[in-house]
Amino acid sequence: MIEENNIKNFELTQSQLAIYMGQLLNPEAPLYNMAHTFEIPLSIDIEAFQKAFQQVINESDALRTLFFQKNNIPYQSVHSNLKYQSEIIDFSTINDRQVVENWISDRSRVVFDLTKNIFDSVLIKIADSKYLWYLNIHHLVTDATTSTILYKSTLENYFSILKGDKISFSLPPYSNYLAFEKEQLFINQNNEAKQYWEEKTKSLSKLPELYGKRTTALTTKSERVSITLDSRRSQKIKEIAARQDIRSFTPNLTLFNIFSTLLFTYLYRISGQKQLAIGVPAQNRPSKGFKRTPGLFIEIFPLVSSIVDDDSFLTVLNRTKIDTNNYLRYAQPGLVTREINKSFNTILNFINAKFEDFEGIPAKSKWIHPNHCDPAHQLRCHVYDFDDSGEIMVYFDLNESVFNSEMRTNAPEHFLKIIDAFINDVNQPIASVDIATDEEKESLLVDTKNDILDYSIISDFESQVAKNPETIAIRFKKQKFTYSEINNKANQLTNYLVKLGVRKGDKVALHLERSTNYITSVLGTLKLGATFVPISSEQPKERVQYILEDSNCKALISNTKLSSKLVSKKIDIINLDKSTEYIENQSITYKSQVSEIDAIAYIIYTSGSTGKPKGVMISNASLANYINWSKGYYTHKDSYIFPLCTSIGFDLTITSTFLPLVTGGELIIYTESSNGPDISILQVIEDNLVNSIKLTPSHLALIEGSDMSKSILKLMIVGGEDFKTSLANSIQNSVGDNLRIFNEYGPTEATVGCIVSMYNSNLHIGTSVPIGMPIKNMSVYVLDSYHNLVPRGVIGELYLGGSGLAKGYIQNTKLSNERFLVNPFQQNAKMYRTGDLVRFNDSGELEYLGRVDEQVKLNGFRIELADIEANLNQHPKINNVAVVLMDSEKKEESKEVNNCKECGLPSSYPNIDFDDNNVCHLCNSFKGYKEKTDKYFKTEEDLIQLLTSKKDANRKYDCLSLLSGGKDSTYVLARLIDMGLNVLTFTLDNGYISDQAKANITRITEKLGVDHIYGETPHMNKIFVDSLHRHKNVCNGCFKTIYTLSTKVALENNIPFVVTGLSRGQFFETRLSEELFWDEDVNETTIDDTILEARKLYHQEEDAVKNLLDTSMFALDSTFDKLQYVDFYRYSDVSLTEMLVFLKEKAGWVRPTDTGRSTNCLINQAGIHVHKKERGYSNYSFPYSWDVRLGHKNRDEALEEINEYIDEDEVHRMLDEIGYNKSDLDNNKKQLIGFYTSKEKIPSVDLKLHLAKQLPEYMLPSKYKHLKEMPLTKNGKIDKNALRALSDIQLESDVVYVAPTNEIEELVEGIWKEVLQMDQIGIHDNFISLGGHSLAAIRVTARINSELQTNFALNKIFELPTIQEYAVYIESQLMELLQQ
Amino acid sequence: MNKAIINYITDELLNETLEDNLEVDDDLLGGGILDSMGMMKLILFIEKEFGVKVPPEDMIIENFMTVSHITTYLEKKIKLD
Repeated sequence: MIEENNIKNFELTQSQLAIYMGQLLNPEAPLYNMAHTFEIPLSIDIEAFQKAFQQVINESDALRTLFFQKNNIPYQSVHSNLKYQSEIIDFSTINDRQVVENWISDRSRVVFDLTKNIFDSVLIKIADSKYLWYLNIHHLVTDATTSTILYKSTLENYFSILKGDKISFSLPPYSNYLAFEKEQLFINQNNEAKQYWEEKTKSLSKLPELYGKRTTALTTKSERVSITLDSRRSQKIKEIAARQDIRSFTPNLTLFNIFSTLLFTYLYRISGQKQLAIGVPAQNRPSKGFKRTPGLFIEIFPLVSSIVDDDSFLTVLNRTKIDTNNYLRYAQPGLVTREINKSFNTILNFINAKFEDFEGIPAKSKWIHPNHCDPAHQLRCHVYDFDDSGEIMVYFDLNESVFNSEMRTNAPEHFLKIIDAFINDVNQPIASVDIATDEEKESLLVDTKNDILDYSIISDFESQVAKNPETIAIRFKKQKFTYSEINNKANQLTNYLVKLGVRKGDKVALHLERSTNYITSVLGTLKLGATFVPISSEQPKERVQYILEDSNCKALISNTKLSSKLVSKKIDIINLDKSTEYIENQSITYKSQVSEIDAIAYIIYTSGSTGKPKGVMISNASLANYINWSKGYYTHKDSYIFPLCTSIGFDLTITSTFLPLVTGGELIIYTESSNGPDISILQVIEDNLVNSIKLTPSHLALIEGSDMSKSILKLMIVGGEDFKTSLANSIQNSVGDNLRIFNEYGPTEATVGCIVSMYNSNLHIGTSVPIGMPIKNMSVYVLDSYHNLVPRGVIGELYLGGSGLAKGYIQNTKLSNERFLVNPFQQNAKMYRTGDLVRFNDSGELEYLGRVDEQVKLNGFRIELADIEANLNQHPKINNVAVVLMDSEKKEESKEVNNCKECGLPSSYPNIDFDDNNVCHLCNSFKGYKEKTDKYFKTEEDLIQLLTSKKDANRKYDCLSLLSGGKDSTYVLARLIDMGLNVLTFTLDNGYISDQAKANITRITEKLGVDHIYGETPHMNKIFVDSLHRHKNVCNGCFKTIYTLSTKVALENNIPFVVTGLSRGQFFETRLSEELFWDEDVNETTIDDTILEARKLYHQEEDAVKNLLDTSMFALDSTFDKLQYVDFYRYSDVSLTEMLVFLKEKAGWVRPTDTGRSTNCLINQAGIHVHKKERGYSNYSFPYSWDVRLGHKNRDEALEEINEYIDEDEVHRMLDEIGYNKSDLDNNKKQLIGFYTSKEKIPSVDLKLHLAKQLPEYMLPSKYKHLKEMPLTKNGKIDKNALRALSDIQLESDVVYVAPTNEIEELVEGIWKEVLQMDQIGIHDNFISLGGHSLAAIRVTARINSELQTNFALNKIFELPTIQEYAVYIESQLMELLQQ
Repeated sequence: MNKAIINYITDELLNETLEDNLEVDDDLLGGGILDSMGMMKLILFIEKEFGVKVPPEDMIIENFMTVSHITTYLEKKIKLD
């Protein structure tokens, strides 16, 4: 199609690049096809039409453009000639318009081979004088305005040709824009607009989950659905748009603002997210010429809104107006970045372009959707009136992974409801709009008829007694009790209670350990028609006292141990230790009372937000409903054998208490231990006597990992907390398929459990097991804050109705009325407000999503801890998490600093020791091995020999010299040139090289006539931040980046040596250690080998550089064969004066004055500042002390440089710039801490990187703490208060500290403590997490080898990174040696 | 002030030439002389030319309907500054 001709190649614009990459990722999907049909009611002269369109092609270089890649970089080639004939198709004989539509729809899905063609034009005859012009163009070269230009130009030409007029039209070429954008990019490098967009996107980053969908693998398939805005609505909207308080500059701008407001409202309502961004294509045609140029101009910028509580349409609109004005001001060509593109998943495409009527032909166009769309755009909303008909057209393109077919039907209805609400009253709160459709509501309210069971479950127990009197009902310790024995005991107790004056309706507190007595007390109380109030044994005295008073108990059944300290005037205390005789004298028969339907069976106290517990009153009918349902639902072939192993004060235990006894099953009672945490659950699993169990996920986590292959468990009911699928799966796998696991949800206020799901490993693949569907006679309502039912998928608060609802809180009508509301969906009924957030998933099961009220504020941001937890939990290695907000005070020690008399090292340096003469231990020990270090250093002759040893005709360069622009590296370069070597020079532009240093670099490289390249990476700021977190300085990250990028350059250019300008002092910071010189015979090959080995490990360390840059070459040993790293100053002992003279003469180097210090890097001081704050001394103290020790600096020079002034304002500005969270540095800080349990500790940076993918920076915990186990409350939930109470020091060290258990572990621990400069290390602590890097590995290994006379390899410590593992290895090696 | 604004609009912003010369009281927005992007360019020009900053809150029809509205607004603005 394209003739060989004059071709010009260009790079792609920012927008083209984004589209090109999108197409590359989905090569088979026509996701960027822009197809239109234009109806032309004429008998078309085909030849004239072909000619007219050819003219347009001749004038539009965009249509003559093709795309190709070279070295993985995409280019566009503009061809000077393209002869094109539109295909002609005749459908006029077929009288079925649908056939034509189908043909068009199929044709619009062609996938362009971008190297061959970029558009497709067909003239379709549909009647004698009616044609459709079909024009499909790849988005790479078109946008809406382009379509209108091409349509207009073609028709204009066509009529000119018919009339015989001379065609005299021209269109400006797109290549003008290519040049313009390039120029703009340069101009805009650091301007206000660029900063504006950076700020905007920084505030975002978490995408709203549309209808709660957390989908990552998205299809490109999308369906376009129309939202019928009839002429009445269009008219109404236009009327509102004309209002003075609504209107903006132009009617179009007003309409845009209105639709933005409507879309923000819609997104807020279907995602629950308040911080929202919508991608809005900017026309981006900044000059008259560009307005007439065909090609891709649009660029997508975000429009941002922060919804606040009580927002009305008008308040959102008013803010949107302002943001739109900023949008218009700052949407400048070429500014869109990948970060910006990632900040939204919804597009508002408000199209101004219009197809004009022409020569009496009314424009009648149709935009054909190819049923595919960029998957990053989960929702696209198009608003246009192409043909100026007065009716606003609104379309949604809905990604089919996010919107299932039901939602694709409902979503437009929801948006329409929002539009109608807006039309109806712009002042109404946006949270109040009822968006669910009537059909949805009807289906949501199905099955909400609730029957009330009118009986007490005590009759179920008694019928089991009658049926199986001699069957074992209870085992407790070594004792067994039959049903009739238990019944007799209960009857005796009831008779005794009656004697004491306790009557039907009275309350009896049961303050007992788990025991047979407890069960008979429960049964006895119920037989009497009284209410039992269980109070577990570990409750503190004050709390028991409070409950006794609050519940107005008539009697307390307890024992000596538990009741001794209780004081009570009104209450009869039945001390079972003393009253046994009396009770056993009572009659063993009692006729149970019939209680009223509303009579209270039990009162359970739960923690209240006020600090005082609140008593939940559960009626006999509610209890009967739950037990009766569970009997039928959980049923299995054998009779139930349950353990009683959880707290009696927790309503979860109700299941185990009653279910076996009302079904003829057996209850095995495990009493709590008299001291320490209640871990009966472990005993239950070990004994393996029960086939059924009820417990919390946190309990379950305790037994995760124990061998359960022989377990006889068949039924496991899990409740009380969010239940992770990872845990469910691990238990299912370890017990096997015979076990059925249920997730039972229910607040105490709705009787134990009211929503349930059976775990299904195939179906339940999300983070948590869904809580499921409501049980019999219970109803669920998912409501918004205005109590409207929300559509399926949308997150709302869970409200419960039905016969399981509690009768309220005892003695607390106010709270009862707040939580138990009038049920608007059922007559004469209540509904309970749970405070839990839920949504219906696609399978119709409810998912639990956290608490409404577990919301914290940090730095002004409102944060849902559950949100962070859910995301953290998605990390594949994590079992359980808890995130808490901690207040901690950081105490900085302001002790006086003393500096070593010889080297200047400060006393704040860790583990430093001074002798009586004020000389540090490093100086003193150096004196012992100074001579040996001389062997390591060499001469310049050696260097020349080395660098010329691999001379080769094929090599252009002998070596790559790293140039920072500072004096040391400049001297290196100048000397290398002086030596007659061919050098390539490399500088990392980290974004903070001072201008003068850069000028130095230019001057030097020019003067020396040497080839120079700058390396750079877009990830530099992330690397700085990571380095600040890991090393508390910026230099480490920068150095590693330099090594990584320069190695790549060296390999690409076949260069055998990379020469560094590290000072000798820096050798001791990064390469050398005392230990290397311990050997009597210091062998430089051994040292070099060790250093090389350490370098390999260094590049394998998991950090930002490894994760963000290409470091694949370091995994290959061949890299280190091809390439050697040479430290110039190993071979040169030049003095500072000599150096400066040489530099002045040979290199033209000038000391920079714009960095405020002796460095050439501006951000350096930010690193020093952080290091000083965090570690209490400058990161330069240590290398400089070595420079002094080796005679390259004197002490005063070193101290002067170390104590240089730091401009804190400037530091804070730079830290902001790179995205480092400064609050880390502030005292008295509040911080988020992520606690997690997993098999082993996970590097914090991994967790951070994992979370950063899902959450904005401000939601990322500042610390992560690995725990062996989560601390649990008495009820088996995670005890967040206990986590919050941990001190800073406990946070830093391992909570489960395990001291060395043998001599070898002690030896290793001692060495680690010295090298890592720590006070306490547990044997399970991880070397790398403690900050152990390659140099520390050298030191530790050398010390161990010297101590044990072994020769362990350096990498062992990374393979076996804990003291315990390493010690096992040592032991095995020593054993082997002994045996030899 | 009027003249500078009129010249800028006529030279830089108009898509097509007007039949009559642009007058200070011509409705720039309602009359379809400028679209919203054109208005934003005019504001950027004004900011540069007269050294004022037009905050987004001030970008309303009442301040920018005609050239004379603009100069009234600017005079007020300059006085305040």
